[in-house]
Amino acid sequence: MSRIGVFVCHCGENISRTVDVEQVAKAAGEIPGVAFSCDYKYMCSDPGQTLLKKAVAEHKLDGVLVAACSPRMHEKTFRKAAEAAGLNPYLCEMANIREHCSWVHEDRDMATAKAKDIVKLMVERVRKGKSLAPITVPVTKRALVIGGGIAGIQAALDIADAGHKVVLVEREPSIGGHMAQLSETFPTLDCSQCIMTPKMVDVANHPNITLFTYSEIEKVDGYIGNFQVTVKHKARSVDESKCTGCGICMTKCPKKKIPNEFDQGHGMRPAIYVPFPQAVPNTPVIDRENCTMFQSGKCGVCAKVCGPGAVDYEQQDTFTVEDVGAIVVATGFKLYTIDRKPEGSPIQGYGEFGYGTIPDIIDGMTFERLASASGPTGGKILRPSDGKEPKQVVFIQCVGSRAREKGISYCSKVCCMYTAKHTMLYHHKVHDGQAYVFFMDARTPGKGYDEFWRRAVEEEEAVYIRGMVSRMYQRGDKIVVMGSDIQVGVQVEIEADLVVLATAVQPQDGADLLAQKLGISYDKYNFYSEAHAKLKPVECATAGIYLAGACQGPKDIPDTVSQASAAAAKVMTLFAKDKLERDPVVAKVNEKYCVGCFACKKVCAYGAIEEKEIRDRQGNLVKKVAYVNPGVCGGCGTCQATCPSKSIELDGYTDEQIMAMIEAL
Amino acid sequence: MTPGKKRLSYSYYPGCSLHASGREYDISTRALFKALNVGLKEVPDWFCCGATPAHNVDELLSLSLCAKNLSLAEEVEGDLAVACAACFSRLKTTQHHLKEDDTKRKQVEVAIDGPAALNKPVKHILEILAREYGLAKLEESVKKPLMGLKVAPYYGCLLTRPPGVPELDDCEDPSIMEDVLRALGAEPVKWSHRMECCGANFTLSRPGVVLKLSNAILESARIAGADCIMVACPLCHGNLDIRQKEIKEAFGAPDSTLFGNIFGSELHGGSAPDQRDLPIFYVTQLAALAMGVASESLGFESVITDPKPLLRDKQLL
Repeated sequence: MSRIGVFVCHCGENISRTVDVEQVAKAAGEIPGVAFSCDYKYMCSDPGQTLLKKAVAEHKLDGVLVAACSPRMHEKTFRKAAEAAGLNPYLCEMANIREHCSWVHEDRDMATAKAKDIVKLMVERVRKGKSLAPITVPVTKRALVIGGGIAGIQAALDIADAGHKVVLVEREPSIGGHMAQLSETFPTLDCSQCIMTPKMVDVANHPNITLFTYSEIEKVDGYIGNFQVTVKHKARSVDESKCTGCGICMTKCPKKKIPNEFDQGHGMRPAIYVPFPQAVPNTPVIDRENCTMFQSGKCGVCAKVCGPGAVDYEQQDTFTVEDVGAIVVATGFKLYTIDRKPEGSPIQGYGEFGYGTIPDIIDGMTFERLASASGPTGGKILRPSDGKEPKQVVFIQCVGSRAREKGISYCSKVCCMYTAKHTMLYHHKVHDGQAYVFFMDARTPGKGYDEFWRRAVEEEEAVYIRGMVSRMYQRGDKIVVMGSDIQVGVQVEIEADLVVLATAVQPQDGADLLAQKLGISYDKYNFYSEAHAKLKPVECATAGIYLAGACQGPKDIPDTVSQASAAAAKVMTLFAKDKLERDPVVAKVNEKYCVGCFACKKVCAYGAIEEKEIRDRQGNLVKKVAYVNPGVCGGCGTCQATCPSKSIELDGYTDEQIMAMIEAL
Repeated sequence: MTPGKKRLSYSYYPGCSLHASGREYDISTRALFKALNVGLKEVPDWFCCGATPAHNVDELLSLSLCAKNLSLAEEVEGDLAVACAACFSRLKTTQHHLKEDDTKRKQVEVAIDGPAALNKPVKHILEILAREYGLAKLEESVKKPLMGLKVAPYYGCLLTRPPGVPELDDCEDPSIMEDVLRALGAEPVKWSHRMECCGANFTLSRPGVVLKLSNAILESARIAGADCIMVACPLCHGNLDIRQKEIKEAFGAPDSTLFGNIFGSELHGGSAPDQRDLPIFYVTQLAALAMGVASESLGFESVITDPKPLLRDKQLL
């Protein structure tokens, strides 16, 4: 007869509000084989854990069931407590009566009855449970950072400074990301490039960092401590080892009128180019779609003028496989640019704003380039249509953000602050100009943030109008902005020379595809999901993968840098050990019964199943059976459900356990 | 109609206006459907949808009026075709609300003594022309293309709003009217006020508001170079057509304080808009005209701003 202890948690009031926990504990005590049961306000607290440990000793328990929250929340906590009390930790299980019961039901009697049932069947699972030993796997102390914006740069530098090797992969020809595009940064108005470019140089010079620009993640295999990542190096058409970065190819390139992505299409670049003068690495790429040589085979000027002979039209994409132990994902954001609803997208457009059809309606990033000393206007605020200095500028916040009916309900977090900054930059550069801001709320939590916003309103003469804009249209060379002032209760029309939209922050294009390669989860907007909103904000649910920056949700620079350093710290924690213990919840094959059909191999999402040969003493092949690599197995149980001969089982979820649970109901 | 394919056929809810001040909308709708060989059968014994007054006074009443009409419509085969933008809005809103709110649905079903026909498809005439009859076929069916006619398509408030309810087109940036106009051979102008309010019901209580708002619409249509305005709402038609003369008298020269313009400077600098008469057409009048229906049977005689000079000028009469 087993001696199981059942501990029912109130979770403050989270459970006890809808479940009669005393009754549940009492009913549990009556289950045959349960030697002890009780309820307690906070089982996860120190006194709660002590209660558990004491009970194990006093009642000589051989199995423990904690009826509380989800095992994702506290399974580790209670298994540790059980282990401290001398039990095998895998003989401690959790019955989820919070997420699966109290949080989703209202009727107290029915919820209590359900909680009792959950406890009853989980007791059976504990009874049939086996002692397991954790699996140890080696750790490759080399990290991969995906994305070379400020998040990726910060994470890479921190990990590299701690003495570990880092591979930094960036999709664009240069690192720097969006921060390199910004003019000045809130709330101190220091020049973005001045604080960014030294960090970029540090990355390039760091002996522990291998930098791959113009490269993308092709494939990710393996698991925590042991990832194999295939990186695609897109053909630059310039040999990085030969190029000296002299730039003569760019000056001689006959095709010079290509809109520069770095300047949001408002400056021009040649077909062979670096995105901006401070690019790292300072090695150009050829934009093959716009290059005369690639399109018609007639030109070759850059190859002719290149002294070191670095230009290589024949270059092909290459692939390398990088062994790493941890991955930091820092792929950043893009700005919402939809002017009409694109096919198949749940997100509506803003056709009524004339965005994309009226040239002097621009987005916030374009304004950054106009205000930047390195931008297409040399830092003068000149409007795109006719190059005139705008005297009335209307800024509109929350374009796309907080607009449920347009498909995005979240707040983009940075726009209130950067719009306030824009009004200041404008006021500093155009003294006789007037800035208007349409806003819903001014959200300025952050050190020095509200003071900054107040300064825009009180000292820099920006006129803030609380209300939204319904429509904009061109009349003559002006843009008529029709909106409302809800504080005064009137409709407002402003004739603007330039309109700047603070468009929503969205994840990068292809964020979902990368997540699928990495095996990490993402929300309906394609932002990556952290393992726990409060307590695990930088970890993914997939072990060994960490998040930094706006790929997880809209973030400003200080928050991004903090999160990047946090992700780096998590990587360092992982690298502090030579071997890694992981849960032994893995599948095992009963080789006696396995007929080698490999149905399991076909369904395994982790690629954990291999073919194993069984030979007799003479070395003759007897049969082939399945073998589960315990390091790779994700413990999902799909193979167990698939196996026609029932010869594969997941430890901790054996058929015996599952059947006993069903029978208990 | 392609042989073998089932003939399109609809039940029809004209609404009160179409039997009174907007009778030319009704006449032209019937004429158009006949010309297109599309069936149209009026719902027997229909009554008022409640329009704006009902839902301002009593929500249950307004929902019940529409629910009853919908259940009457169930008795006639085919999706329910609606021409009036307000009726369309009320019927769609009722279905939307009652689908979302079970308690209200039960109340309404007690009030109308029967089930609410929440799944009877309600279709606006524009939707039928553009999507069900189809733009390509519409273009093929045109006998007298509206060549050279510059039309300002005016959506007004109700046709596409609020988000998620009428499901006719993009709520703030639709294109269905433009699409239909192009299929008819006309030239839709790009203009600023196609989604603005004409003043609607204030025409009775505060006509001053209507004069102001409708003036802004007429004026921007003239600035955009339109010959006329196309509407899909009898109330918009009334405000823009019947009050046009009054608006001219009230405003005369273009005015720069059309709205509560507290920050802007001169609104209408540069262009000097004229005082042209702008005939107001229903979408069905223009479509029927393009299908070769005789102009005498489209109710042109009963509007105030005479469209005949324009149509003669464009050789469409």
